Amino acid sequence: MATLNSHDAGETRPRWLFPLGAAVVVVASLVILLRSLGDAKAADDFLAAIGSTVPYLLPALVAWAIPDEKHKALRLPLAVMAALIAFFVARLWVGGAEVAAGEGEGPIVESPHLLTWILGLPIAGAIAVLFLPRQAPRALAGTTLAIMLATLAISLPLLRVPMGREFHFNQDVVWLARFGIHYHVAIDGISLWLVLLTVFIVPIAAYASFGSIHTRIKDWCFALLLLEGGMLGAFVALDLFSFYVFWELMLVPMYVMIGIWGGTNRIKAAIKFFLYTMFGSVLMLGAILYLAYAYAKVSGGTPSFDYFELQRVLLPRHVQLWLYGAFTLSFLIKVPMWPVHTWLPDAHTEAPTGGSVILAAVMLKLGTYGYLRFSMGLFPEAAAEFAANLAGVAVLGGILYGALCAWKQDDVKRLVAYSSVAHLGYVMLGLFAATPASLEGSVLQMVNHGISTGALFLLVGVIYDRRHTRQVDEFGGLAKVMPVYATLFVIATLASIGLPGTNGFIGEFMVITGTFVSNKLGHFNGIQAVGAAIGVILGALYMLGVVQKMFFGPITKPENKRLADVTNREILALAPVTAMIFVIGFFPNIFLSQIQGAAARVQDELAARIEANPAPRFYEGPMKLLARRPEAPKATPNGPATPAPAQ
Amino acid sequence: MGLLESLFPAENFSLIAFILGMPLLGALVNGVWGRRLGKPAVRLMALSAVGASFLAAVVAFVALQHRVEVEGHEHVKLYWTAWQWMHANGGRSVTNVPIDVRFSIDALSGVMMLVVTGVGFLIHLYSTAYMAEDKAFWRFFAYLNLFIFSMLVLILGDNLPVLFIGWEGVGLCSYLLIGFWYDVGANTAAGKKAFIANRVGDFGLLCAMFLLVHYAGALDWTGIQSGANVLADNPAEAYRIHVWPIGGGTYQGIFAFLQPAHPVTISAATAVGLALLLGCTGKSAQIPLYVWLPDAMAGPTPVSALIHAATMVTAGVYLICRLSFVFVLSPFVMATVAVIGVSTALFAATIALVQNDIKKVLAYSTVSQLGFMFLGVGVGAFTSGFFHVFTHAFFKACLFLGAGSVIHAMHARIHDDVQAQDIRNMGGLKKYMPITYWTFLAATCAIAGLPLLSGFFSKDAILFEAFVNHSVNPFAQKLADRHSGAWAPPAMLGPSLYVAGVVAATMTAFYMFRLFFLTFHGDFRGWVIGRAPLAASRAGHGDLEDTADGEEAHDEGKGTHEHEHGADEHGGDHGHHEENLKDPGRAPHESPWQMTVPLIVLAAFSVFAGVLNPAPLTKKLALEHWLAPVFESAIKGTVIAREGAEHLELPLMLGGIGAFVVGSGIAYWMYIAQKGAPAARLAEQAPGLHRLLLDKWRIDELYEATVLSAVDALAETAAAFDQSFVDGILAKLTALVVAAFGTILRTLQNGVVHFYAAVMVVGLAAMGWFFVTPHPDATVTPEGNGDYTLVAGPGIGYGYRWDGDGDGKPDKDVFDGTQQIKLHLEPGKSIVIRLEVMNAFGLTNVRAIPVSRPSAPTMLEVGQN
Repeated sequence: MATLNSHDAGETRPRWLFPLGAAVVVVASLVILLRSLGDAKAADDFLAAIGSTVPYLLPALVAWAIPDEKHKALRLPLAVMAALIAFFVARLWVGGAEVAAGEGEGPIVESPHLLTWILGLPIAGAIAVLFLPRQAPRALAGTTLAIMLATLAISLPLLRVPMGREFHFNQDVVWLARFGIHYHVAIDGISLWLVLLTVFIVPIAAYASFGSIHTRIKDWCFALLLLEGGMLGAFVALDLFSFYVFWELMLVPMYVMIGIWGGTNRIKAAIKFFLYTMFGSVLMLGAILYLAYAYAKVSGGTPSFDYFELQRVLLPRHVQLWLYGAFTLSFLIKVPMWPVHTWLPDAHTEAPTGGSVILAAVMLKLGTYGYLRFSMGLFPEAAAEFAANLAGVAVLGGILYGALCAWKQDDVKRLVAYSSVAHLGYVMLGLFAATPASLEGSVLQMVNHGISTGALFLLVGVIYDRRHTRQVDEFGGLAKVMPVYATLFVIATLASIGLPGTNGFIGEFMVITGTFVSNKLGHFNGIQAVGAAIGVILGALYMLGVVQKMFFGPITKPENKRLADVTNREILALAPVTAMIFVIGFFPNIFLSQIQGAAARVQDELAARIEANPAPRFYEGPMKLLARRPEAPKATPNGPATPAPAQ
Repeated sequence: MGLLESLFPAENFSLIAFILGMPLLGALVNGVWGRRLGKPAVRLMALSAVGASFLAAVVAFVALQHRVEVEGHEHVKLYWTAWQWMHANGGRSVTNVPIDVRFSIDALSGVMMLVVTGVGFLIHLYSTAYMAEDKAFWRFFAYLNLFIFSMLVLILGDNLPVLFIGWEGVGLCSYLLIGFWYDVGANTAAGKKAFIANRVGDFGLLCAMFLLVHYAGALDWTGIQSGANVLADNPAEAYRIHVWPIGGGTYQGIFAFLQPAHPVTISAATAVGLALLLGCTGKSAQIPLYVWLPDAMAGPTPVSALIHAATMVTAGVYLICRLSFVFVLSPFVMATVAVIGVSTALFAATIALVQNDIKKVLAYSTVSQLGFMFLGVGVGAFTSGFFHVFTHAFFKACLFLGAGSVIHAMHARIHDDVQAQDIRNMGGLKKYMPITYWTFLAATCAIAGLPLLSGFFSKDAILFEAFVNHSVNPFAQKLADRHSGAWAPPAMLGPSLYVAGVVAATMTAFYMFRLFFLTFHGDFRGWVIGRAPLAASRAGHGDLEDTADGEEAHDEGKGTHEHEHGADEHGGDHGHHEENLKDPGRAPHESPWQMTVPLIVLAAFSVFAGVLNPAPLTKKLALEHWLAPVFESAIKGTVIAREGAEHLELPLMLGGIGAFVVGSGIAYWMYIAQKGAPAARLAEQAPGLHRLLLDKWRIDELYEATVLSAVDALAETAAAFDQSFVDGILAKLTALVVAAFGTILRTLQNGVVHFYAAVMVVGLAAMGWFFVTPHPDATVTPEGNGDYTLVAGPGIGYGYRWDGDGDGKPDKDVFDGTQQIKLHLEPGKSIVIRLEVMNAFGLTNVRAIPVSRPSAPTMLEVGQN
């Protein structure tokens, strides 16, 4: 150590040091030169021109430089990804001085067909894939990815519209006039991010899965695309009949995915998954039909399945409770909430990596989204009546019990599955608390969970592909042989335990503070907030426990000594989710500003109905038809089947 | 100065971005490219990042000082808002509470910022030599830079959530750095323990945040301060926090026995204070969450110096100072802080008395000194408490770095971590390591409280104020008017705190000098010093004469044949071949300049930092004056000094001086004059106590047996319940019921045609019999006013005979087509109608139909009228 200088001599000075210094000097001297010549404007313009590109160039350059010589192929895609994410952040930036609204472009034209394109593209793609030859797996995979990326690309225009309180991109087409069935899609601040989450995660899951799935590629591609279409449809459908169609549509590909490409107990897990979800769905179907015909009865016309029309129906308490129960049970199974959660660990453990990612990241969100949109939207009084008790279930059965169970799992995938139960406990708690901030936090937490749990499942998939086991005891000391993998895993872990600066914290914080402030949880808001905060400790307990067992300490198993670090494909799949962890963590306002209006609307609707029909009896008179909500899009008359007028 | 102000206005003081940005940049560059950059570049990046940050911090401090001078005696803050972050709802009339990524520098955070970047820079410099041979050099500096960044976020954050980013960020860095040599399981276990103990504290902080959002309606310092009074000055009982029954309900029915006569409530100020305190005990290693800090010594020694002594662990004290205006609202919380502080100071000092690991002694000493700081802020002596943070940063960093220097020297031949840190293997190092010796001596004197050194002044001020101060509830009068009492601390609290503090200080002086004498005086006990045989010198791994290239080659060679262990030099003894310490070897060696310069600087500060606040000697107190705007409004009317306090100043000082004299005197007598014999005798006389102290009062084991095993059992129960009950019974039982039905029905579908034919025949026969027998049936329709219509059900060839008057006899003798009859009933009367039916086969059947009219008009009748 005394010979430190000889160290210096022994190692060459980094080659880039001089060019970097030179570039800085050149730019600085150029600026000084221009300024000293008195042409301040030119200097400012020059600087502004450089400055406007810096936000995109810098991340791209950084990403370009990240992989070392061994991974040169990664440089371009990573740079592009970084630039796109930087563009996304810069474009949607709120939090500076002012919001760049419109920039004098005039009102943005909302194409009523955009949502149909978005959900139609994957479904059409699924059919198109059927016509490709089974023997060309690369073509199949390429086509599938291209379709998914195209879907992602065409859904970006959704971001150009400030969402506010209303619904946008409304398309309402009469489908079966006699039964009042429409094809009605529209999007608000809540479904916006879930749609974007779907189109963001599905290509990643698909891309990662092409590395590990080598059998029946064609069927796999078909299932993936159909699943994407179904999920997107379920998020944007505002006609309960179409919602139900999409809801069931996505069930089938997932069932097939678990059943064909799953692990050893795949059939059992697939059946369990299907039966649980189906049980709830059937109850919901009954409730939907009852509601539609109740509408017909009370309006004296044809039945309607339209969300905004059905929102108008004020049902007496005893009827409302039954319908609310049917809807809610269906959604809670999907979430899943205690005690109907046990399909989830099995389904996750047996599902292939891609399936797990989509299941955790997107499908579970349909439960929480459904509760927010339909259970709370259609039956506000009943939702208010049950909020306090269900919040108790969310805290005890979800956040605490889920975390404790997760702690005792030996199987990493099961552990992550139970952690999902805990995380979705936060989401549900936020929905039950129903303050503006807690609702926003909940919706953001849905996205967060999609990102961080998606990342965790991708990461577990990486090690499963190498060792074909998920038992924690089989690993140990992996940080030594797989340093990049270990780093990414730790980042995802930190997001999962809600470290501030990562996405997990924002959602949890908003939900917990919202819970304490809430007046909908009776006397128990305080203790429920405390319980939710305890979940933060337990999260660290189980996640850091598994990290320590898997990555640190000496390498105990000889088969782990020669494991390869993450491949290019895996890095490309993990890079965007890892980036999003920090984007949401540091710039949540990009997301919250879009959710804010819709959350406020939901809260106002809820509050208005509860105020008009106060607890504990709420409303016991005959069914009534209330006025249409002011924020609802203009109704399409149930006349002969004509396409909705484009506005 | 004018330029500075025009560049950085107070509301948009963007220099903060640079102060924060540099360490982050360093962390990023070293973390991502460090492996490829090579050690010189990593070193350059790390040092320049922290150095630039320090220089910028100095500039910011100068700007702050200038503004303070301009604006007079005001609480000046320099703000920089980075961007909007998120928001919450809260306040009386639930409104939007924006939470921005916003930073501010004021008097308190300004000083802290200088300490963190300054001491941080010195420790970075020190580490460049200390870690020079570690293969994961780049990783170490990435973490260290990230730590500086997080610590700065913690200090400069202008609201609680932003502070929380830093708070958890430093926790994360601590976790990563404790487990830096992660191939030793114990290190990462210690890291995990630290993180989870801190998380328990973070839970408290989260609770405090939602309480503050709800009650004060703000999370930034200014907002909390202006809304804080609501916490204690509650207008109504409903604003208090109902502890039992939870949330303020009532227990009824079978739970009525749970209902207390009076609901147990605490004021929101107490709740917030206790929640914050939990957070602070976690980060600052106080009872009950102190257990992680001694284990955290598993990290590299510079980490122990920077994170686990000088900066991170004082974050709890910083937070209490920062939110002093919340703490003072509840005398109960203040007393709790003080009692926790003094108990920790005493408790940790007893453990430090007997430890033999040089870093463990320093670790317990840190816990103990943090206890003093808590005692200080707990009695309302915020300036003195913070002054102790300030001085402690210097002398404790100096001590740890000195210890690192010693360990570094010991490592030359003793490669086992535990042995290399054992003071029983040291001794007489004064001769070989003069700079380390003198700096260590300076810091030891400072911590032990040698009069006129920094530690003396800061500790003495705390003890003095502990004696004279007492907290009062600022709203005591108002609360009394509302007939709800205010808690007041007992009168004996102050003197008791003082006495306990003096005892702890005495122990401090003793164990520090014990450590000092055992390490530097007497004879060297590590190995035999002499001229080493040539071969041994070549093989000696850490031998300083080896050229760098030789060192590298050696490392590489080790790496190939023992790949799984080869990450670092200090990662235990795996990579080393054992040396026979009986062989004569080279004497321990003084460390290189990168290590001694920080020692000298820190020692100088340990000696002279006292001049900033030499409390009893002069009234010109620079630090007190500087921090006054921060604490003034908080302690006004809440922290009261007893009468005649100023006369007590000098007498009470004797306690501190006595502590130093007695403690160091006993240590001298025991370890220098008597060569350690009394200590050995004592240990023999009370082996149980000695063992207990060596085992740290077995608190770890106690926690293991109670809290941890309880949570573990709960988790086991939950997992088992999930498997057996939820999945087993709820799910499988449902499936079983369905399956059972299936099994039963399946037996019918046996595929035997004879069986099907037989079933068909039976079925047809049953249907035939149904059609052959007549079925009398009638519907009763009330028409209102007691009129009822009875309609008989139709059938093929049916004839009807009614008994419409209830006399038991048919009205007519023959069956005819009268399908319907009408009747009238008075209110409260009832009648039994009989209907006989005969079908085409001549078979008859009869049925009695009771009809009754309620005495009161029914709803329906009312409705129809």
